[in-house]
Amino acid sequence: MDDTIEAPSFVTKATLSGERREDDEQSSGDEDEGPDWTKLPFIARPVIPKRGEKDFEPKVSGGSGLQRHVLDRARSAMLDALKATRTSSNKTVSHAVWHSDIARAHVTAARGIHFSTMGHSVSRPNLKESEGLQRAHKRLELLPEEALYLVERGSLFCWKPAETIPISSPGLEDIEGSPMTVQQAFAEMIGKEDLTLERYQVYSYLRRLGYAVTRTVPPSKEYPAAAPFPLRQVQGAVGIWTRISRLLAWPFVRISQLFSRSFDWWRPIYIRRWLLCNLSYVSVFKSLRFLPSGYSVPLHVKPPETPSSYQIFYNLYKPSTPFKKTAPPAPDFSIVVINARTTPVPSLSQLNELFDILPELPPPVPRRRTLLAGKPVPPSALSAPSTTPAVKPSLLRQLSPWTWWSTTPSSPKTAPRKPNPFAILKSGKKMVVVAAVDAGMISFFRFGQGAFEDFPMN
Amino acid sequence: MSHITSSNRPRGGGQGKGGARRQENNKIYAYPLPLLFSPPPRTTVSLATSRVLGIFGSSNIQVENPHCEGVLDRATKSVWVTNKKDAMILWRRGFFGKGDLSRSEPSWHTRQVNAHREAAASAGKTLTSEEIREKRRAERIQFKLDRARAMAQAAEEAEIAFKEGRQANTVSIPSGATWKPQQSTQEPSTTEQTLVSKVMPEVEEDEDKIKEEEPLEDIEHLQLTLQETFFLIWNFDCLTVRDPLYDKRLTLKEIWQTLQEVYYPSLPSSSLKLLHSYANRFDNQFLVSYVAYHHYRSLGWVVKGGIKFCVDLLLYKRGPVFQHAEFGVVVIPVYEDPEDQITSPFRLNNVEPFTWSWLSTINRVNAQVQKTLILTYVTIPARSRVDAALVSSPACLAHYSVRDVVLRRFIPARMRD
Repeated sequence: MDDTIEAPSFVTKATLSGERREDDEQSSGDEDEGPDWTKLPFIARPVIPKRGEKDFEPKVSGGSGLQRHVLDRARSAMLDALKATRTSSNKTVSHAVWHSDIARAHVTAARGIHFSTMGHSVSRPNLKESEGLQRAHKRLELLPEEALYLVERGSLFCWKPAETIPISSPGLEDIEGSPMTVQQAFAEMIGKEDLTLERYQVYSYLRRLGYAVTRTVPPSKEYPAAAPFPLRQVQGAVGIWTRISRLLAWPFVRISQLFSRSFDWWRPIYIRRWLLCNLSYVSVFKSLRFLPSGYSVPLHVKPPETPSSYQIFYNLYKPSTPFKKTAPPAPDFSIVVINARTTPVPSLSQLNELFDILPELPPPVPRRRTLLAGKPVPPSALSAPSTTPAVKPSLLRQLSPWTWWSTTPSSPKTAPRKPNPFAILKSGKKMVVVAAVDAGMISFFRFGQGAFEDFPMN
Repeated sequence: MSHITSSNRPRGGGQGKGGARRQENNKIYAYPLPLLFSPPPRTTVSLATSRVLGIFGSSNIQVENPHCEGVLDRATKSVWVTNKKDAMILWRRGFFGKGDLSRSEPSWHTRQVNAHREAAASAGKTLTSEEIREKRRAERIQFKLDRARAMAQAAEEAEIAFKEGRQANTVSIPSGATWKPQQSTQEPSTTEQTLVSKVMPEVEEDEDKIKEEEPLEDIEHLQLTLQETFFLIWNFDCLTVRDPLYDKRLTLKEIWQTLQEVYYPSLPSSSLKLLHSYANRFDNQFLVSYVAYHHYRSLGWVVKGGIKFCVDLLLYKRGPVFQHAEFGVVVIPVYEDPEDQITSPFRLNNVEPFTWSWLSTINRVNAQVQKTLILTYVTIPARSRVDAALVSSPACLAHYSVRDVVLRRFIPARMRD
């Protein structure tokens, strides 16, 4: 766009952001704007507001009466929203005691919906002096990030055990110690159990969006580990027919190998009429693919001595995924959290390590929109038919139809491509999400394992 | 954007419908490689022979290999194809090279002729892609001016209504979907006139002059990158390259050597010793770039340079004439042995890990133009593993490997369902 021509005037962002939103999920869209306070209904309880549109841009001649009016209205709406007292009902506030020695918060009173996705039960020896004996006792414990998140959002009242005599107040008899402030909670919980500030920021952001977030590596034996990734039998399961046909075709393959010359690096592509070598574009392109590529090729890169800073830390579950706290399913996404100021973009070996432990993604679901368009791409547009003259299979290939089959150009008519190759090329076969946190600003990137070898264009 | 291009193709109806244009492009750019495979004429005799030949594992398909010629230019690291016919073959069959005075297809000559014919043009001339772009830009400028004017008007109207204490009348503000350029062609505003005259050379008086003038000489050539050059020579043997330094045609072995030498620094011949350290290196820029180029070409993509979008390569599905590039590729060399990097006289691009800000920059630029960013890692064989003497032949390419990583932003707010 020619920005110089676009004089700063009354360009409302309405049209621009509207266009952008339909584009692509990659565009910045609506993330970066501030809240529109005028959209807040006047209520006592503060709510996280929806974002609105910018009403005007500054003008050289100064604001007009209308502009000032709109601005005042927005400002007073913001102040009203901030003025309201933050309250939370006693019925939804939980209580916990923070034990910094084991880096867990022991939940003494669990209230509200949060505990369907947070906390895990641990059996701890009960050390009540009055009883005089130790016995195992199941209790609900929170990881530091879980406790901190609940404290920050006003859903948890955290106590610190103190040596002083327990204060007995009605209903809180079993709580001992002094109450913790939010500030104190931050100071004490960050740094415990591998929790960095960056990781906490990512955790709370994702929690607020409704995701269930768990640790990938269980910090203790009692922490429920996620189910392993389901095995997708793609390469492994070779049909019995394929095996038989391979077995039968083997002698013919050997014979044709004997006839064909060994690979000449000064002349990689042979185009000749004898044995029908490369007499169509499809087969020429196929023969061109002789350089090693893809993730199955052994990687000779020397691994660095220090362990990679790219380790999957969080498992992410979409709000729609049925999540059982005691037996979490395989995660929807795996997240690595790093400090963008100190850690550069992952290297090939680091990515390779991550891809090695991740599962292959299911093929993307074709979009409904392509059906609605109702204009199928004519096959003639894909390949001009006159350009690829039908090659009659040679005697050898006629005798061994299996090998011949494998070299036939896959015609788009007979075998309809199920998944759109572009969708797979754009998402990759495997995917890891990296959250790069730069002083509180989180950028999420998805690194996908490329699938270009599987979907040649010609 | 489909591009109507040059050549003296007879076309009816001026700027035809998109479909017609597409069909025509399908015809012109039907062949993905310079090689042509033509079936024999369809007679009963030939059908019979093809059947007989088929049984014996042969065929009577004719393979036509165009033997194009080019000249190596070390200063620009490119090969110049000056013969118009060869240039057209290489461009139309696989989109190899670019015109040195054009952004892709060598269309300088046609643009000049069009500009001279300008007066008669408006109705039925065939526009080159550059001209279409200029027209589009002029229209976009006009659209922005119109929109700004409408917005200013709407604001003024709202202001008056606010003072009078009534509801403002709605003023229609043109959007990209509703705005039509016809108002500018009917009564072109002064701003547009100046803008257009700025981008199009002033050619008003020479309608008669052109008849007297000698026919315009086409001074443009097609320039091939070194990767394209080697791809064409090595795999298809359809290009001969002349080296002006020794004034001779290079053999394949000489080309392999020369294309690597192009990346040596220009040193006085006295420092032979120093020059020697550049020889037989696996991390020669030519080799690394070639591996990446060959990888995507062999998969059927049309590969062009991507400097405009902060990337090394752009991948087109069929070619720039048909669709926009789908992917932007950053080639990242990876030393198998970090020791090789330290001892290397070369300083390859992108070897050092990116900072997050740079990665974001590239990704933002490409997402803005609807391209997906691909990080293509090319591993450089370790000298401790592979004998450096192998660099003397393309057999060394077997020890490189290519892996691609797709990079996109992940937006948790939009992935919730």
